[in-house]
Amino acid sequence: MSFKLQIFIAVITVIALLYIGNKVRNRVIELKYALVWFFVAILFLILDIFPNILQWLSQLLGIVLPVNMLMFFGFGFILLILYTFTVVLTNQDRRIKRLIQEEALLAYRVDELERELQKKDFKVRRLKTRTADGGPEHKVKIIKKNTEESK
Amino acid sequence: MARKKRLVIIPAFNEAGNIIKTVEDIRANAPSFDYVIINDASKDDTARLCEKAAYNVIHLPINSGIGAAVQAGYLYAKRYGYECVVQVDGDGQHEATFLTEMAEELESSGANMIIGSRFLEKEGFQSTGLRRIGIKWFSFLIRVLTGKTITDPTSGMRMVNRDVINFFAEEYPKDYPEPETAITLLRLGYTINEIPVRMKERADGKSSISFKRAVYYMFKVTLACALARFALEPFPPEKFVTQYYGGENP
Repeated sequence: MSFKLQIFIAVITVIALLYIGNKVRNRVIELKYALVWFFVAILFLILDIFPNILQWLSQLLGIVLPVNMLMFFGFGFILLILYTFTVVLTNQDRRIKRLIQEEALLAYRVDELERELQKKDFKVRRLKTRTADGGPEHKVKIIKKNTEESK
Repeated sequence: MARKKRLVIIPAFNEAGNIIKTVEDIRANAPSFDYVIINDASKDDTARLCEKAAYNVIHLPINSGIGAAVQAGYLYAKRYGYECVVQVDGDGQHEATFLTEMAEELESSGANMIIGSRFLEKEGFQSTGLRRIGIKWFSFLIRVLTGKTITDPTSGMRMVNRDVINFFAEEYPKDYPEPETAITLLRLGYTINEIPVRMKERADGKSSISFKRAVYYMFKVTLACALARFALEPFPPEKFVTQYYGGENP
């Protein structure tokens, strides 16, 4: 790996780190999800600054050019990041689904309770008309009480 | 509202043409059942028709797919203490007259799930060529993975008791749940019985599984079946969310 390439990769990685750090500061990216980016960027920097690690690893795996090892790592890191996103996505999917269901059930429950209330009012009115027709006396009394109280 | 112990879940997405027929069929031919329509944010007249007819309907605020809609129905069944739940599709393939028979079988046999099978007595519409091969395949898969025989693993007529209601309220596949949930339940020690039913050919002749989706269906469901072989119990429900709205105490 040439010194030029090393500098180039280091500059790009540092810029990326600063950019993501700034995004976290602006609350555009949640730190929890940025962690994997920081992890990858710092590993990349380490491999870039100490190319001996890369040399050693590439010899171990029989890769001719150490820079190819870096590419291989990059590829692996991308898969890692995508994996974490799939986990997050699945989690969010579940939560959103349950929220939608809860919202729907609660709206239904509110409707139901409102209808029950209306029904009670309605009954009171019906009992009032019944009093005019001569309904059961105890019920009439209750109605009278209610009407007196409401007056 | 005086609630019965049995519930029919009717998932509805853009079913304005069928919904009234479906509900009235249940009201007339399965009088021991309550029903609930889950309107999955339909874009057509479904919501208006249901409200106008004063049907028992739950409106999902955002379109969430068939699995989430049916699961909302199971959640509803759990909250209101239903003991027996069946799902009926809005396409008129299922005859409501069989529901009572299935419920009696569920209660007398003590099984956790009753599947209405087209192939036990080979009556009525028997599905078509390629689809039957698919059904045979899943039947074979279930036999290999669980050792149990289910003659009609893709039947949508599946009635479940309270244990499975609670299970489905927490864990239900996104789409095409039939063969997969059969394996999951069998693996976790639930019992499944089948009784013979007749089904009609669907009225509009269009299956939700078009040729385009057949490949996706076979692949997804086969994989789901294989994974269901290693199924785990669902996560316990979040305590602060689980409430109980009515009916008998569970």
